Amino acid sequence: MITFSNVSLIYPHSTKTVLEDLNCEIQEGEMVLVMGHTGSGKSSLLRLINGLVPHHTGGILAGDISVDGLSTRELKPGALAHLVGIVGQNPINGFVTDVVEEEIAFGMEALNFPPDVMRKRVEEVLDLLSLNAVRARAISSLSGGEQQRVAIAAALVMHPKVLVLDEPTSALDPIAAEEVLSVLHRLVHDLSVTVIMAEHRLERVIQFVDRIIYIEGNGETSIGSAEEILSKSELVPPIIRLARALNLNEFGTSVREVRRLTADVRGIAVAEIDSATRVRTPAIEVDSLTVKYGDDFALRGVSTSIGKGEIVALMGRNGAGKSSLLETIVGVLKPSSGAVRVYQQDPAELAGKSRRKRIGYVPQEPSDLLYHQSVRQECQEADLLAGLASGTTLSFLDKLVPRISHDAHPHDLSEGQRLALVLSIVLSGNPQLLILDEPTRGLDYQAKSLFTRALKEYASTLNYPVLLATHDVELVAELADRVIFLAEGEIVADGSTLDVLLSSPAFAPQVAKIMSPQPWLTVDHVVSALAEKL
Amino acid sequence: MNKPLHPLTMWIWSLILAVGVVVLDNAWVALATVGVAVLFVRARSDGSPWNATFWWSLRFGAFVISVRVLIGILIGIPIPGTVLFTLPILDLPSWMSGIRVGGAVTLERLSSSVHEGIIIATMIALFGAASALTSPHKLLRVLPVFIYEVGVTLVIATSVFPQLTQSVKRIRKAQYMRGMDKVSLRSIALPLLEETLTRSLQLAQSMDSRGYGASRKRSRYRPAPWLARDSWFVFSAVVAASAMVAA
Repeated sequence: MITFSNVSLIYPHSTKTVLEDLNCEIQEGEMVLVMGHTGSGKSSLLRLINGLVPHHTGGILAGDISVDGLSTRELKPGALAHLVGIVGQNPINGFVTDVVEEEIAFGMEALNFPPDVMRKRVEEVLDLLSLNAVRARAISSLSGGEQQRVAIAAALVMHPKVLVLDEPTSALDPIAAEEVLSVLHRLVHDLSVTVIMAEHRLERVIQFVDRIIYIEGNGETSIGSAEEILSKSELVPPIIRLARALNLNEFGTSVREVRRLTADVRGIAVAEIDSATRVRTPAIEVDSLTVKYGDDFALRGVSTSIGKGEIVALMGRNGAGKSSLLETIVGVLKPSSGAVRVYQQDPAELAGKSRRKRIGYVPQEPSDLLYHQSVRQECQEADLLAGLASGTTLSFLDKLVPRISHDAHPHDLSEGQRLALVLSIVLSGNPQLLILDEPTRGLDYQAKSLFTRALKEYASTLNYPVLLATHDVELVAELADRVIFLAEGEIVADGSTLDVLLSSPAFAPQVAKIMSPQPWLTVDHVVSALAEKL
Repeated sequence: MNKPLHPLTMWIWSLILAVGVVVLDNAWVALATVGVAVLFVRARSDGSPWNATFWWSLRFGAFVISVRVLIGILIGIPIPGTVLFTLPILDLPSWMSGIRVGGAVTLERLSSSVHEGIIIATMIALFGAASALTSPHKLLRVLPVFIYEVGVTLVIATSVFPQLTQSVKRIRKAQYMRGMDKVSLRSIALPLLEETLTRSLQLAQSMDSRGYGASRKRSRYRPAPWLARDSWFVFSAVVAASAMVAA
């Protein structure tokens, strides 16, 4: 269906080869995953398939890509619209109309489909993606998962032979992600659509894919089955790390397979892990907090307290009230009733320097805080604001991510590097509380483990609390001491990470699913539990 | 009354009435026209996010009137008539001899300022009504394909600008939470510029990948034919406008 022959790609004003001499053939009805470090060129590879690269971006392309016999060299993306459906990383940025139905019909209108065909296809695709209930709604009023499904519907309605998706689940909670992935799985099996997608959260997709294209970042690529690629790769999901740690001679990509291989490990009786939380001095106290937007409740009577040195993950579906809770704790959102105290102080009274000393905040878009010309300038500004000796922040950053160029423009950094920069800037003031909103979107496993280590060090050495909102179950399992689970503005679960994650199958990390009923969440838990035994 | 009009109807209606209002130049008629527009928008809102445009255009119109009146009181050519009150005249350097700041404020001078303000505000309200009832996105779909570039630009402008206010709010909030009190233009403009550029490029790419402009002819999912109703609408506007011009 898709043939890459001797494809090499270089962007203008860049010396880095994105791809070099890529040769591969993707068959009809195959599901292919493109993986690689952040910024390695996954999106470029995806956009080569319908000619967005180089027709829209510029760059030097050698070799040829043909899709169903049509070469993308001569054809513009519009001419391939009936053949290739493409869903970008942020679907909201690609919507052309205001209403779901019109958005789905947009592509067909552009290609002059007869109205009766359009009506039929729109109905089909609305059913296929369960969007019928929202068909007349404004797109801006939909949740992230629904928007993602609208974007997929708008691509599918053209009956493309190839569907290209760039991080289709990165902004979604585990349940919404599963909905989207099961739809893709069905398309491949029932309609023989060829699906090519890039994704960082391998644990979510690995069991569905037939082959993997691994972009190594220096232009080289390797292609093979999931087992072949993952047995050598640095970027592996927990399921493979588990297999490595246990020295299994076979790999499995689904929970079912690995459960079969590890029956003997699960059988070992181990002492129960002491999951009781330590008694800590409270740093944040939230007392029957209610937040209303107009007539809608964002939070209803939430009460909790977070102790010193505790790392707390705030989880829940999109729109459950996570951001509202964070914003009230930071003090930018006024509660309708109830109170928040941060170190016995009302956070709304904090401003400027006293705020920086008290609360460190990393926003959902880390780049919102960056406005200087270079990494060095950003760090100098942070030193100045915090009253530190010049160079302190920069050396902290170097410790966090070595090999970051000090003269690079912040917007040229990869997502992981940018997060590290913002984190160092925020931590430079040694705030007594750290709050992060969805920090790991678009990070690969390596960047995530660096990030985990930095946060753990902050919490344990300084004995300050960390509060983060996230959808990333694997991150929570590695990092958090405690999980607060929100639904419809209320706390539905609040307890140790182990108790909360194990009690809900949808939110259980991969290792826990494999090792159930043993109470192990991460590979490290398994290894240390077994080491004690031996 | 709930079936949608042709996307062009409201725009033509607004345009014709706007011409009439300008030619007649009567504040009372202009206000009556705005009243009709208010009734229309109330009756025909379909709950789309664009409906709010009209109420924003009214607020903007009120702002324009107040600015016009303020300027009319402070600066202006003296119009003889009933003196309401007198402001001290500001001494200006000799090279600004044509301008007078302050002086006697007459009823005539005030009413002519209000009058001008109302005419301008009516223009704004009429176009606000048109875009509230027919979003520029719908308008785009009846435009011929050969003005492809215009279409892409229109969609990008009309999608990116509403998002711009959202982004500014988000960036300001993030920077305030960080403890940056003195939020400078630069600290907002740079992240904003970066985001807006990315968005615009992505939208253009999305339109292109979905075949916009690839075919010479376009079909419509929900055809909106020009009906007798649309002709009546435009006809009523023509009658009203010619009455205004003739008067």
